[in-house]
Amino acid sequence: MGLTRRDFLKTSIAGATAATVGMPLSEQAAAAVKAGEAGWQWDKGVCRFCGTGCGIMVATKGGRIVATKGDPDAPVNKGLNCVKGYFNGKINYGKDRLTQPLLRMTDGKFDKKGKFVPVSWEQALDIMEEKMRWAMKEKGPHGISIFGSGQYTIHEGYAAAKLMKAGFRSNNLDPNARHCMASAVVGFMQTFGIDEPQGNYDDIEHTDTAVLWGANMAEMHPILWSRITDRRLTHSKMKVVNLSVYGNMSSDIADLEIIFSPSGDLAIQNYIAHEIVKRDAIDHDYVKKHTQFATGPYDIGYGFRPKDAEKYHSAAEMEIVKNEKVRVLDKWEAIGQRKQEGEAVEQKNAATPMKDWAISFDDFKAALAPYTLEFTAAVAKGDPDESIEDFKAKLQQLADMYCEKGRKIVSYWTMGFNQHQRGSWVNEQAYMNHLLTGRQCKPGDGAFSLTGQPSACGTAREVGTFAHRLPADMVVMNPKHRAIAENLWKLPAKTINPQMGSHFVKIMRDLEDGQILFSWTQVNNPWQNTANVNHWIKGAREMNNFIVVADAYPGVSAKVADLILPAAMINEKWGAYGNAERRTQVWRQQILPPGQARGDLWMMLELSKRFKIKDVWGEQKIPGLKAAGFEDGKLPSVIDEAVKMGYSPDSTLYEVLFATPDNKKYKWPDKAVAKGHGNHICDLLKDGWFPEKALFEEYRKFGAGHAHDLAPFDVYHDDKVRGLKWPVMLKNGKWTETPWRNNEKYDSYCKPGSGFDYYGNNGAKMVMGDLDKPGDPKNVVDISGKAKIYFRPYASPVEKPDANYDLWLCTGRVLEHWHSGTMTRRVPELHRAVPNAVCWINQQDADAKGLKRNDLIWIESRRGKVKVRLETGGRNRMPRGMVYVPWFDEGVLINKVTLDTTCPLSKETDYKKCSVKIYKA
Amino acid sequence: MNFSGILVMSKPDHHTQVIAALNALEGVEVHQVDAATGRIVAVQEAEDIHAEIEGVKRIKAIPQVIMAEMVYHYLADDERTYEAMPPELIEQQDGFETCAVPAYLNS
Repeated sequence: MGLTRRDFLKTSIAGATAATVGMPLSEQAAAAVKAGEAGWQWDKGVCRFCGTGCGIMVATKGGRIVATKGDPDAPVNKGLNCVKGYFNGKINYGKDRLTQPLLRMTDGKFDKKGKFVPVSWEQALDIMEEKMRWAMKEKGPHGISIFGSGQYTIHEGYAAAKLMKAGFRSNNLDPNARHCMASAVVGFMQTFGIDEPQGNYDDIEHTDTAVLWGANMAEMHPILWSRITDRRLTHSKMKVVNLSVYGNMSSDIADLEIIFSPSGDLAIQNYIAHEIVKRDAIDHDYVKKHTQFATGPYDIGYGFRPKDAEKYHSAAEMEIVKNEKVRVLDKWEAIGQRKQEGEAVEQKNAATPMKDWAISFDDFKAALAPYTLEFTAAVAKGDPDESIEDFKAKLQQLADMYCEKGRKIVSYWTMGFNQHQRGSWVNEQAYMNHLLTGRQCKPGDGAFSLTGQPSACGTAREVGTFAHRLPADMVVMNPKHRAIAENLWKLPAKTINPQMGSHFVKIMRDLEDGQILFSWTQVNNPWQNTANVNHWIKGAREMNNFIVVADAYPGVSAKVADLILPAAMINEKWGAYGNAERRTQVWRQQILPPGQARGDLWMMLELSKRFKIKDVWGEQKIPGLKAAGFEDGKLPSVIDEAVKMGYSPDSTLYEVLFATPDNKKYKWPDKAVAKGHGNHICDLLKDGWFPEKALFEEYRKFGAGHAHDLAPFDVYHDDKVRGLKWPVMLKNGKWTETPWRNNEKYDSYCKPGSGFDYYGNNGAKMVMGDLDKPGDPKNVVDISGKAKIYFRPYASPVEKPDANYDLWLCTGRVLEHWHSGTMTRRVPELHRAVPNAVCWINQQDADAKGLKRNDLIWIESRRGKVKVRLETGGRNRMPRGMVYVPWFDEGVLINKVTLDTTCPLSKETDYKKCSVKIYKA
Repeated sequence: MNFSGILVMSKPDHHTQVIAALNALEGVEVHQVDAATGRIVAVQEAEDIHAEIEGVKRIKAIPQVIMAEMVYHYLADDERTYEAMPPELIEQQDGFETCAVPAYLNS
């Protein structure tokens, strides 16, 4: 009997699956695969979702995506996909795609209280231009702002940074990556002087231990988790430790699960260091050659609105917000900070939390003294139903691993560390323990900060779409960095504004208090993703301002906007992302955007045509500006200087910043790279250049020779290349990636003979001091080539459960949905799998409150309340006293409840701990 | 009808038992096995999307299965899309070009 059609189909699917994961194929299966895919065009691509950066193969036929699969040649995922990645091809096809610009209007005119009416792109850009001119006239360059994204393509992020910083002289560009990666960035910059992990995902196959700190990898990074699972099965020494505030899917294969109290991680890290020192498990040679001990102030506040808080917060909110000025120390932080319980500590360093100074090893050791097993267990035990003895035994086992000579360890973390009131500190503590034991920058050994978003590294961080950043780790506050950027961008000196812009939460606060009058959202959903969102919805809808939101689907942010711009999605435009292991990956346009949807890059280029340098490069007053050379508080006019450089006052920002003579040398069509693929942005611009290629080539000049080297655009588009980890160096005519940085064996930036070279700190000096303060400013140490080992103390959460708000609330993601769900909720399979957010709770807590599974409840904090259904089973196991609600569901807008406290150093919000009460709805 | 190609992993010692358990599930067939690496390729046939997702959960629940992920999916058009949409989005079922102003935005 021959094969039936169904049998044939199944053989073909099995064959395709096996081929995808690299299993050998039978001849019959290979033939079936070929026949099943007749007429399909396969091309390499990148997953749209998390920071893992899996390679995806995309098949198109007749202008539609017909299939996607894991890319067998991608070193990250080797053909595997998680459930979200698996449905990449479907996210473009939701039935309610935005396909026309929409403006709130009444009687044919813009009206903030009006209803959305379709308008042409011309009308949309007209009103944007008008409102931007108005905002800048009223408030100067910092009257406008962009909410950017860690999901921007590299080209988009670069264009946004250049348009804002070079064009409008505004630093009010900040990405949603502020909510996810900023603490990691501060940890890297303070410790190593250069951003991003030194290791790579291959550490998994080299290590003996994976320690997860507030990273539920099984759900949030499933493909990396499958590699860890694989290692756990095939390497007998391999141990997996899951540290979390509740039991989750990552505990399933863990050898050790440690449930700790919110902020208890600060104490546990110091306990490990305490043990390393006590047992002399220090790698003395490594520490002596490559590190410097350091510390900083403790009285740094909680990142609340610094001035006039009582004007904007309710009395209930002020009960917590008042800690920004004075903190009364509780028992645990008093011990951990060598102070007295009940002491009222004025938060004198709230505006200067980044201060640091060098200390001696003896001082470092003295600071660790309070972090005994007794103290740490008492402060950090997270499950009230676990015995203190059991918990202590687990902490000891963990310390044993870090103290075991020859055991390789990788520590992984994501939002549990980063979204933390002391997020920068806890990142630095992870490096502390790895540096003390010489476990950094070696295959299988390293503290590894995982990324949430697909290009939080590649775009937000490397391009520098933050309020303080320029490309390649440079900052606007540094005159040398500004000069480098002005030179590469061919701008007159003093064009770039030296005043740091508003970070993400501050842009929201500035909209609320009227300091910012124009805001443009790109590739993210700020009115769903920002904590304490009731304030910001009011700020957008009730203040006299203009809110533009570009999006593919109508989410919460679109709903609060005044103007909605329909955006092209991945595979409808050319793009590039950079993942958590420094791998830059690219894709071509595969299909056209629907209707009038267009790439964000096109929107920015088109808008830039409407401003001339005489409009934006004149003298500008900047409130608060005090930088050297700008003592009069103004940005000088640079128009005369621009004319000397050959520009005309009537030159547009499009001509000066984007379609420059250099950039126009990159021609479209570019047959060699495009291989038959279109580019809707080139088709619309109609002036014969290839903006994605030109902007990438311009951008890579920033990093070349400065340890951020990228290969040329065309190299990444080579069919054989599956991304390259920077710095990418030209060696013997081949562009070669760097697998481990700061390790002489792999990184050509290291000084010969150094072994390990933390060159990011070259030229940096620190003042010596004691644990409380810096000493004589003349007593400095040079830390060239060295990493810092910080002592950072335990600090209690600013809001803790009390008699009224008696539960902790932790928020986060679920496997099936990406962020605010605008894309994944349009994929029926994913929506079906997890249709709505639920509130996970411990059964005993539910019983005590007379509630049961599936009950509709109110969850309420000092800030707001939402309705949600109760879940006592399922994938998360909550300890008593804590509930978990994911934030993907706009029907359960949990950020109405959360607290807008941030790490004072990184300005990243803590979404992981605030206090709530629940009751039946 | 929905078809999915699923990669299942178990320790090679448990292969026989896991393969038997997989083949015993309705709509599931084991097609390829790589004993050296513990990998099994199964193809699942499911009535609808719901059954497809539930089916994978069912596979994950088999004792000794360490991992089960859908790798390959047959992307068929799905007439039940609207039913599966988030409730707040159901109201606008217009096609691409006509849904200029989602009602949801003006609510």
